[in-house]
Amino acid sequence: MTELLQNLIDGLGRGSIYALLALGVAVIFGVMHLLNFAHGELITVSGYVAFWTISEGWSWYLVTPIIIGTAIVTSLVIERVAFSRVRGSSDFTLLLTSFGVHFVVSAIFLLYVSASVKTFSRPRWVTNTYSIGSLHIEVFDTVVIGVTLVTLLATSWLVQRTMFGLALRAAAADFDTARLMGVRSDTVIRGAFALSGLLAGIAGVFWLMRAGNTVPSAGIAPMLKGVLAALIGGLGSLRGAVLGGFVLGLAEVLLRSRLPDSVASLTEGFVFLLIALLFIFRPQGLIRVAHAERV
Amino acid sequence: MAEQRGLGAAHAGMFPNLRRDVAFPVVGVGLLFGAFIAVGLLYQSLFSGAAERLVTIALIDAIIVLGIQIYVGNTGVLSFGHIGFGAIAGYTFAIFAIAPAEKAKRIPDAPFGLTNVDVGSWAAVAIAVAVTVVVAVFVGIGLARSGAESGAVAATVITLALLFVTHEVARHWPEMTGGERAGLSFRIGGALDTRVPIYLALAGALVLARLFAQSRRGRLAKAGREDDLAARAMGVNPMVQQMIALLISVVVVSIGASLRVYETGSILPENFFFNYTLLTLAMLIVGGRNSVTGALFGVAVMTVGRELARRLGQDGFEVFGLGLDSAPLDWIFRENLQTVFFGVAMLGFMIWRPKGLLSDWEFDDWLYRRFTRTQSPPEVPEASMDSEQDARLEVDNVSVVFGGFQALSQSGVEVSSGEVVGIIGPNGAGKTTLLNIITGIITPSSGQVRLNGTDLVGTPSHEIARAGLVRTFQNLRLFGSLTVRENVQVTRLVAIAEHDDRSTPETDVLVAAAGLWDQRDRRAGELDYGNSRRLELARAAAARPLFLLLDEPTSGMSDTESLAMVEQVQTMAALVGAGVVVIDHDLDFITGICDRIYCLDRGSVIAVGTPDEIQADPAVQAAYLGSSAS
Repeated sequence: MTELLQNLIDGLGRGSIYALLALGVAVIFGVMHLLNFAHGELITVSGYVAFWTISEGWSWYLVTPIIIGTAIVTSLVIERVAFSRVRGSSDFTLLLTSFGVHFVVSAIFLLYVSASVKTFSRPRWVTNTYSIGSLHIEVFDTVVIGVTLVTLLATSWLVQRTMFGLALRAAAADFDTARLMGVRSDTVIRGAFALSGLLAGIAGVFWLMRAGNTVPSAGIAPMLKGVLAALIGGLGSLRGAVLGGFVLGLAEVLLRSRLPDSVASLTEGFVFLLIALLFIFRPQGLIRVAHAERV
Repeated sequence: MAEQRGLGAAHAGMFPNLRRDVAFPVVGVGLLFGAFIAVGLLYQSLFSGAAERLVTIALIDAIIVLGIQIYVGNTGVLSFGHIGFGAIAGYTFAIFAIAPAEKAKRIPDAPFGLTNVDVGSWAAVAIAVAVTVVVAVFVGIGLARSGAESGAVAATVITLALLFVTHEVARHWPEMTGGERAGLSFRIGGALDTRVPIYLALAGALVLARLFAQSRRGRLAKAGREDDLAARAMGVNPMVQQMIALLISVVVVSIGASLRVYETGSILPENFFFNYTLLTLAMLIVGGRNSVTGALFGVAVMTVGRELARRLGQDGFEVFGLGLDSAPLDWIFRENLQTVFFGVAMLGFMIWRPKGLLSDWEFDDWLYRRFTRTQSPPEVPEASMDSEQDARLEVDNVSVVFGGFQALSQSGVEVSSGEVVGIIGPNGAGKTTLLNIITGIITPSSGQVRLNGTDLVGTPSHEIARAGLVRTFQNLRLFGSLTVRENVQVTRLVAIAEHDDRSTPETDVLVAAAGLWDQRDRRAGELDYGNSRRLELARAAAARPLFLLLDEPTSGMSDTESLAMVEQVQTMAALVGAGVVVIDHDLDFITGICDRIYCLDRGSVIAVGTPDEIQADPAVQAAYLGSSAS
């Protein structure tokens, strides 16, 4: 029982970061039907910014807003340079464009920075734990869960209660009609990329605090978590993406702690296997989104 | 013109036309193969040394890229997973092909006693193919299920997941794979002494890729690629075609991957991961993913590009002895430049030329048109050989609600063979909804759709189409990048499998009957509005349905065109012996063609009768004119 509770808390911590990443992926999928394989590159870029600033001796309190700002700006730049040019293209083109962006960004760091791992110091409190009864809880997880909850509530308010949110939902439901109704596509799409960047930035801060290093290919892992979580939840559903993130985090923690030692290193493989099974039995993901197609 | 001159139905079933779909492709790829090899050998003799290996690598890349093309090109589903399949095949091959003595160094404790297995290289290739195909069957089922629900995007993510799973397993299962750093290896310096197996595999891959594209299965897959929903409505189940394409492509990729491992002499997890996925996909995209010629061309172009980028990175601007002072540019052109090159190439092509350099141009297709005399249009017979079909379609009491809006309530329609029945009504009356229910696109909340007494509610679209109910689309859903002829041919291929071969009119007859003979080799996407409507009709008729269901066939047409359409519909219906259900706004057209008319308003049938009765009906006038005459 205690172990299960422990897993639950660990899973929530891990799942929070995934949920933020997945939400960023889902927001963009909603407005332009683009599954963003370049989403992790926001963290790659942020990672190098963190490396450069922290090795200059800047404190994490200062670096945190810089990382978030970097992610937002990078997201908007990528939209401007690449995605704005393929709006309305086929799924095939959109997917490969984001794949291409992923490669170009990581290759630029590989070429013009370095292929080697760049490490930077992590805040001291990241590894601290405290105990409640027999539970050992990381200070880090507590902060992550708290910040994520606040972020999700704020995002929910933004999407449900503001004009921008209304435009975002309208565009997600039916982009062409939303445009006819006067929703400005540029504004909505850029807003979505900014929001996606903000969410990735917050997730990125936590990701980098935990990792304490970066490499040119650092974006692959967060991208994969975000994309898979969004898919588990049901592509296009914001709520589903958040749910998918938590489910993925919990599944990873549970598998890692329950699998026998001999195969524990294959946890990721088993997670993928579970996801594959999920898709065979529930191909629409956890939350079904109606895909309106006019016939 | 006769499509299977004295050939058995089996051939006709697999390839619509042996000259065009088998003879020319084989000759065509033969010439391409020769040209590709010749360029490689020429390059090799000009630049000795490393050039030989460069060419060998290009040959193997070509096999793998062609394998990917078979799936991606024909189904239109983007796969990141084929290099994952390559990893499975590569490791399986290595485990079975490497001599026990070598294996004892790296994987002394391999499970299932694999350390001591010694089967020889060629048996190892066969085992690699078999193992990978088994995995592909399971992946294919997942792809089919998620693809049907969430579209191609979900399928793509599954293929990406496959790539990662194989990579993870390869890294973390050192007892089997030698782990992340050591890997598995033959003796030092490569194990393949001759290029003959590579040549053979490349030739085989080329022939297979071209023949599959021209085969019945390939054509059905392409219909699904162009428009999934329309393909289903014509009786094609794209999921089955995708599975077949996947298995064939995985066989080719597995052979290519085995050769790649054999040639390199070793395998590491990194060899079959992201970078190789990018490289092969970029080759395919740049050349033109929908074309075998394009795929091969892409390999050549990108190999040259990569080599240039590599030399630029190494020597700055002193490429091929051309010395330029490039000191200021040295910072940009540095080592590993080729990795950026592939990413930028892919991105650039996606933005500016997503169909690639050659789009779907095929060398053998060009040859065929070059060496085939222009044909005269075939004679259109008056009616089909057995137009006396006896069928009855009954729509009984169907209701459907869309989020609180009652689109149809307890509506019914009955049609018998030989009849032309019209359904009219103002916008939003539920006409198209009714057609969507009949063709299985929408499931009604209650009621039945019976064809000859069998209830079809809940039956998938493609089975309804095969049972004999085939429709056209109001908003035109042709297979845009296929030609006019191919559009008709696809549906006809479904009909041939379903019915007796002889009684389905020839493709050319149908094309001529639709008045599209002069346009037969144009892409459907390039047709004007009226011709597109005529092609919709011909494509549906080619399925030789019991009932043709026409959704506003004159929408957007001029009055004269509408009148011509009356005759066109009658000709087509007589040709294939089908009853007709037609929806339209145009009262002149409807009254000119129909035996009986149903009038719908706000989801209910308000009148039934002959054209004269309907025109005189006060309720119809009220619905149409909005007057309160009743």
